[in-house]
Parts: sequence; C-alpha cells; structure tokens
Amino acid sequence: MSGFKDVLDGAAEIAKAMGFTLKTLVSEPPVTVEYPDEPMTIYPRFRGRHELRRYENGLERCIGCCLCEAACPTGAIHVEAAENDPAHPTSPGERYASVYEVNLMRCIFCGDCEAACPTEAVVLGHTIDLAVYNRRDMLLTKEQLLNPPDPNTVIRGDW
Amino acid sequence: MSDLITITIDGKEIPAQRGEMLTKAARRAGIEIPVFCGHPKLDPIGACRMCLVEQETPRGRALITACTTPVSEGMVIHYGSEKAVDARQGTLEMILINHPLDCPICDKGGECPLQDHTLAHGPGKSHFWEEKHHKAKNYPLSDLILLDQERCILCWRCIRYLGEWEDKPQLGLFHRGGETVIDKFPDGELDAYTSGSIIDLCPVGALTNRPARFSYRPWELRKTPSICTHCGQGCNLRIDSRDDIVRRHVARENVAVNDEWICDKGRFADDISVSPARLQQPLARIAGQLQPVSWAEALQRVVSGLKGVAERHGPAAIGAIGSAKASNEANYLLGKFMRGVIGSNNLDHREGAALLADPRGLPSLEAARHADLILLMGCDPSEEMPVLATLLKRAAIRQAAAVVIVHPRRIELARYPGHCFQPAPGEEPALFDALTRATLAGRGEPIPAWLAGAAEDAQITAAANALAAAQRPFILYGSDYAWGFGARAIVASLTNWVTAAGHGDRLGFLHAQANSQGAGDMGMLPDFLPGRRPLADAKARGDLEALWQTELPSQPGLTYGGMLASARGRIKALYLLGANPAGEKPADAAALKALDFLVVQELFLTETAQLADVVLPAASYVEGDGTFTNSERRVQRAPQAVKPVGNAAPDWLILTHLARAYAPERAAAWSTTSVAALFAEITQAAPLYAGMTWENLGAGGRQWPWQALSLQRSVQPYKPAALPADPAYPLRLVVGNQLWDDGVVLAASPALAQQGIKAARLHPTDAAALGLHSGDAITLRSRSGSVRTTVHVDDAIKPGTVFLPYSLAGAPAGALFDEYAPRSAVGVG
Ligand code: SF4
Ligand code: SF4
Ligand code: SF4
Ligand code: SF4
Ligand code: FES
Repeated sequence: MSGFKDVLDGAAEIAKAMGFTLKTLVSEPPVTVEYPDEPMTIYPRFRGRHELRRYENGLERCIGCCLCEAACPTGAIHVEAAENDPAHPTSPGERYASVYEVNLMRCIFCGDCEAACPTEAVVLGHTIDLAVYNRRDMLLTKEQLLNPPDPNTVIRGDW
Repeated sequence: MSDLITITIDGKEIPAQRGEMLTKAARRAGIEIPVFCGHPKLDPIGACRMCLVEQETPRGRALITACTTPVSEGMVIHYGSEKAVDARQGTLEMILINHPLDCPICDKGGECPLQDHTLAHGPGKSHFWEEKHHKAKNYPLSDLILLDQERCILCWRCIRYLGEWEDKPQLGLFHRGGETVIDKFPDGELDAYTSGSIIDLCPVGALTNRPARFSYRPWELRKTPSICTHCGQGCNLRIDSRDDIVRRHVARENVAVNDEWICDKGRFADDISVSPARLQQPLARIAGQLQPVSWAEALQRVVSGLKGVAERHGPAAIGAIGSAKASNEANYLLGKFMRGVIGSNNLDHREGAALLADPRGLPSLEAARHADLILLMGCDPSEEMPVLATLLKRAAIRQAAAVVIVHPRRIELARYPGHCFQPAPGEEPALFDALTRATLAGRGEPIPAWLAGAAEDAQITAAANALAAAQRPFILYGSDYAWGFGARAIVASLTNWVTAAGHGDRLGFLHAQANSQGAGDMGMLPDFLPGRRPLADAKARGDLEALWQTELPSQPGLTYGGMLASARGRIKALYLLGANPAGEKPADAAALKALDFLVVQELFLTETAQLADVVLPAASYVEGDGTFTNSERRVQRAPQAVKPVGNAAPDWLILTHLARAYAPERAAAWSTTSVAALFAEITQAAPLYAGMTWENLGAGGRQWPWQALSLQRSVQPYKPAALPADPAYPLRLVVGNQLWDDGVVLAASPALAQQGIKAARLHPTDAAALGLHSGDAITLRSRSGSVRTTVHVDDAIKPGTVFLPYSLAGAPAGALFDEYAPRSAVGVG
C-alpha cells in the first residue's frame, strides 16, 4: 500500500516543481548572461585584470617603488626602476618604473598590490576575460597595463 | 685597577670594559640603544641626540647621550624609563619635522635606520602640519655620489669619515638652524679614493650611490659575501644582486684586512658582468675571421692545435701565461695542464718571475694600524691600495708614525711629517747605500769598504736613525722598484738598509694585483711548483707527480718576457689566461702574430684576443666560485654571486674539460666537479695551504704564516747597474699604477670613465722648458717607439722624469720600453 502512496506523492512534488519552473519561465527575465556576446555584470570592487593608471596630465602614477612586488604573496609582479629624465619625465619625481610586469598565471587576485601602492598606480580593474591562446600572453607588460582594454562588464548599482 | 667594571641598566647589572662607550656596553648586554651619529668606527660627537638615556647622578637623574658617555664603575642608567623614552620620541619627532619621508623612492628605504628607529621608538604621529623646508634633492657631490639635502639628518658621519680616515675634509655643514645643509667647500671636489664609504655610513638615504641609483630595493637583493679583486688588498665586500645582475657592492667588515672600507674602484666598478663588451660565446678563427663556435668545437680546436704543435716541435714549444687577476683555481689548473698534461714548464704571468717580490708578500695589513714608522719604497698605496692608504694615514695622524718615502714621485702620503726622498731613476741604490751607511754608523757597527764612499747628509742620517729607532715599523717596497733594468740593485740595496736597521723580517712587498700572491703560490712561475716549492726539488716534483698521476718535466721553463721574446723562435703556441700582452706592448702584439697557435681565455675581446686562433669566454670572478690570495697571504673566497653571461664558463671548468679532452687517459686526475673539491686538491698540492678548506676559509679568509718561508738577510754587496744617459732622449720614464686608469675593468664601467686624470705627468720646470701646459697633447718617444697622450703638469714629479701610468687608453707604457725598461730614456715631441 505505502509504495503506491509514495509514487503518488512523488508525482505531486514533481508536478509542483515543474509548475514553479513553468511559472518562472514565463514571469521572470533570464539571469544567464550570454557572455561574451553580452557584458558581464559585476560589483564595483570586483578584482579583475591589473591596470596601471596615469595622472590627468598624462604622467604615470607608478614611481617604480616595488612595494606592490614586495606585498604580492605569489611573486606575480616584477618591477625595475630607473631615473626620470628631468626634461621628459615618465612620472612625477625622480623615479619611474622602466619595467612592470604582472604574471597572471601566478596572481590570485588578492589585491594586496593595490593596497600596498603609495600612489594608487596599480589597481585591479574590471576586465575579466583573461583567456589567451599562448601562455606567454599571461605575462602582462607595462604597455598592456597602461592601456587596458575596455572591460566587457557593467557595474552593478545594487550593492 | 681592573678594566672590567659593572654598570646597571634598567636594574640589570651588566659587565663592561672601563672607558668604552655606553652604547657599546649596552649592545653587548643585548640592549640596542638607537643611534644615528654614533658609529663604532668614528669618534663620538653627540650630534643627533637619538641615544638619550637617563643617568643617576648625585643631583638626580639626568639625560645623557649614550654614544658619547664612557662607562664608569657603578654607573646607573635608565634606558626604558618614561623620561628616556619620551626624550627619544621627541628627538625623532624633531628629526622628522623636515624629513621628506619619500621612502618609496628612497634607495635607503628598507634598510634605513630612520625608518627602523621611527617604528621602534617614534611617536607615531607628529604635532607638525606646516610645510616642510625644501632643499636640493638630487644634488651631485661627484659623478659617483648624490646628496639629497632634505633627507640629511646632520649626523656628521660623512664629514667625520672624510676627516678621520681619509684626512681629506671635503664636506662641511653650511647655513644654520633648519636651513643647515651638507655641501662641498666652494671650489672643492669630493674625490677621496674611498669617498663611497660615506654612502654606507649615512644612516639615511641622503647619500646615495649614483651609478646604482634606483636599481634595487634592499629586500629583494641576494647578498653574497665576497671580496674585491682590483688590488692586492683583497678588501671584503658584499655583492648584492637581483635576477643575476649585480646591483651594487657594499663594504663588508674584516678588521684584519680592510676594516669596514672599500675604495671607489671596488665599489663602483661593478658593471663588468653586464658590460655589452663581454665575450659570451667561444670564437675560432675560420677563414681568417673570428667566428662563434660551440664549446665542443672550440675545445676540439684547442686540443688539435696544441697537439699539432707538440707533435711537430715538442712540448717545450708550448707555453702558458696565467694572470694575477685570475683565481687560484684558474692559475693552479693552468699550471697543472701545462706541466702535467702538455709537459712544459713554460709558465709565468706578467708580474711573475721578473718581479723581485718577496715570496711572502707583506707581513700583515693590520700591522699598518699599529705602526710607529711607515717606510714606503717604490710604491704608492694611495693609488695601488687605497684602503691601506687610509689605514696608514690614520697611523700617521693618531700614532704620530713618521712617514719615510723613497719614490720617484712625491706621493700623497708624503704630506705627513717624516722624510721624502725622490731619487732619480738609477740613483736609488746610491741613496739606499747612504742610508745603510748612516744606519751602520748610527749603530756603531763597522762600515764595509764598499759602503765607505756613500753620501752623508743630515736628512739621510735622520731618516736612518728614525728607522733604526722604530719599534713597530711598517715597511713596504713595491713594483716600481722591483722589476726591469737595475731592479736587482735597488732591491738589494733597500734590503740592505732595512736589514741594517734590524727590521729585515718586516720588509714586505706591496702586490698590485688581486692575486699576485696567489698566482705565485699556485706555481704560475717557470721554476716554482704550487706552494712555492722549487721545481728543482725532486721531492716536491715527486709529491706532485703522485697527486697528478703523471710525470713532470724538470727543466725550468721560459719567463713571461722569455716566452714573448721567443714567440718568433722556439715558442710556437701560447695559451693566455686573462693576459693581454698585445695591449700593453705593441712589440708583443707582433710577436703573438708570429705564433702557430694562440689560445686566449678572456672576459673581453682584448687586443690579444683579437689575434687568437681560439677565444674561450671566461666567467668573471662574480660569476663563478674561486679563491684569491691577497698581499698578506690571506686566502679568501669569492663565491659565485650571479650566473655567467651567455655561454661564458668559469676558468676551472674550461681547463678541466680541456684537459679531459686532451688526455682522456688522464681523466681520473681531472675529476673534480666543484671549486670546493678543487680547493681541497690545491691544499694537497701546495703544502702552504694545508689545513684550509673551502668551508673553513669562512667569511674572513685564512692566512698562511709569514714564517712558513724564512729568508735569511744580511747586508751584502751587490752588483750595481749603471743607467747611461742618452742625449737624444733626455727624460727618464717612470711608470706606475694609477687607481683610475683605462684598464679593462674601468673601460667596462661607463660610470667611472671620467674619474681621475689620465695623462702623462711632467714637472713644471720641464713643462715650461718644453712650452707645455696641462691638457696639451704630446708625443713621447723612445728608441723603441712612441705614444700619444695628454700632459698634466704636476710638481710632485721629479724634474727630468716623465710619469706615465700603466693602462692609459692608446698610450701603453710598454711601447716606450727599451732595454732599460721601465727606466727607459724618453723624449717629448
Ligand atoms: S592581486 Fe595579489 S597575487 Fe595578484 S599581483 Fe596583486 S598582490 Fe600579487
Ligand atoms: S604600482 Fe605602486 S607600489 Fe607598484 S611600483 Fe608602482 S608605485 Fe610602487
Ligand atoms: S631616509 Fe629613510 S626615512 Fe627618509 S625617505 Fe629615505 S627611507 Fe624614508
Ligand atoms: S649626509 Fe648622511 S652622513 Fe652626512 S650628515 Fe647627512 S645624514 Fe649624516
Ligand atoms: S647617536 Fe648619540 S647623539 Fe647621535
């Protein structure tokens, strides 16, 4: 006897669930994002691909102090510094980064570099599409970091 | 009265040495009193007030500066009391009022006492929010040192170092109050040869290393304790590298050798590893051109080239020239290869058999500090061993050591009280004879007939008496008197004088090169085996034959000069390791061209390497392990700090592979795979090195004893050598070492290219007679050749002589060498 009742109860549960599915299918908009055809929605403090920022006058913010490198728990950053040419400075002051590299294969996106930076030069941006065909391309150069791609993301307002 | 006393710090009784500074006593007890101006190597001054502590006095507690306060029995000190802590906080807050705190771009950041003290003792926040004073930020004191006046905390360390050690007060304080700055004196230069020491001493980032600027952060450096290989002192230093690139050299303390100082050449000439001119690949002459080849092919060509010569002309047609700049291991293996594998004793180096050096070098560098008289003959420590020169200056000032100098130039150390003799080339033996005679007369000893005619005068008597009366004289002669025509007479006569004065066992030789002592110790000589054992000693040969599992030739070989002179005759092949005869003497370049086969193992494509059939790229001393033996027989380690450039390989590895390829049947005797193992073999081959191991050389090295080789000395007549005058060439050539030359090391260091005066020097009277002024171009001629260079007029030069430093670009002194070299007759024009 009880076996038959179990079957009926089960059928009712499935019908209930299917009913909810059907109702949601017609009443709610889809949450799946057709990424990368559509932009991804992320929170403003999301930590994506690194960027190096500039001042408004075009000078680089980074002064090559290597503090981000020191703070990085994975050894993902490599900085070499050099002396600014006073006639054509790269950054304000005497020192700039002549080499700045981030190895995305090592990075765990912890944001410690960002926190360590005294000039807010390195920030973790909103670019999330990091896939590449070649492992070497995971090594971001200073040029790439200074000229980040436009992130294919929108920032959520409800946070 | 006992010197051990007890003082109390924060209620804890600690033992102390009477009279030592409180900071030092406290440090021994584990209490690190913070200091800025206080430094163990500088006189106390009490300029910064960082070290304030409270002392119990009969009138209550008083704040005192621990760095200037000698301890006394029963002294009671409060270090952790509220008032003391508060005082130190106040000092730091005061210092930071105008401090820029640009730590992120400051080369000191990460190893900065101001950062560390602020963290440990600072107030945490400041009462001040006013605009800070602004001063010069990257102000060049010289081509080598930058000053950031904003960061300076006015501790006086730089001023004191230059005054107390260099005796060259070249920096001072200017203006007053908050405007006070460090600066050079008007029209003054900062050019002391150890000026870079003030970078190490500066407790903040005010003085920074200009060539190394911004190239490192202290925490990311790999720090390799090593030594300097620019001169025979072997100063201890640390090689700081990152990513296999040397970033800077800093001094390392070794009180027995260099105290805590290194010279500017040792500090700033560190570009040798990154120089684009370095050889990175073996080269072989193919169709008349040097072309890159693989190591296998290069070694094969060396093997077949040498074997061909050995078969055609016998092993005695092959010779090898080692280097006093290369490691013990390199010289030892080159000797082992030549003697044991090729079977030839044609083995020497430039300062080798022809140099009348004491086989033991000098007794002890540390003895310079305790000297009561300094006697320098034919050497110029300021140019040849600048750190030794600082020790000597200090002895001259602090111990009132008289300085007696015999030199063709009035060298820098002649500025101290004493006697300075400037005999013209050729007149040295007569002067030394006069000094010997005066010494014997002063001691009431009989004067031998051959000395009876020696000159007498008051200054000679005074100098002779001073040496005879000295208790702890520091006596050196150098290469200026030890080679070439007439050197035998000079060395014999100066030895007579020192022996007559009773100091025969204190006569030392100042070696100019880093491993001059070691190259000789390793048997890089035609008639000596490793350990300075004579080749003629059958037992020594037998020991070595057993160790090397081979038979050794017993005929002495040719010397350096002999090999080059025979290059058109019986020498058919040469193997040159770190030697550049072609660059030093044009005639030798021609000789090398006549050889059947020339192998050059080098760092750079030198003039000599350009003539080679095979060029083997060697690793520099920072790129491989090695040991070097300094002038006081101290064997010191120079461990690998960075990877070799390109395909360059360490000398010992090249020679090991070569020997194995040349004689596969002897491979068992060539099986060491590390320098530590190789050094162990050396200690067997050279009994003077017995007991040393790579490990127990440690950070400070080990000496073999002065007494290990005893030399019996007595006053002996000698054979004089007359230097004939030559009316066509009225001047006499004087050659010598100059710190800032154009040698390969400096040529590879752009930062140093502008240092020093690179010119021939003439006395003002000679210059006036010739109508020459400083900076004029001149041509010097002798019977052998000519060189073009510029002239510098200098009244330190002996009239009638012209001084030409070695290694001037385009002006090799060797081009002027006639049969009286180096005392050659020259003319101008
Ligand atoms: S996010 Fe973290 S792991 Fe990545 S580079 Fe920055 S500090 Fe390193
Ligand atoms: S990004 Fe910031 S922390 Fe990193 S080197 Fe540049 S300035 Fe320094
Ligand atoms: S001297 Fe020290 S405290 Fe001053 S800026 Fe440099 S690192 Fe910072
Ligand atoms: S420059 Fe450096 S060593 Fe000289 S007084 Fe200033 S802080 Fe002291
Ligand atoms: S360290 Fe004592 S006063 Fe400067």
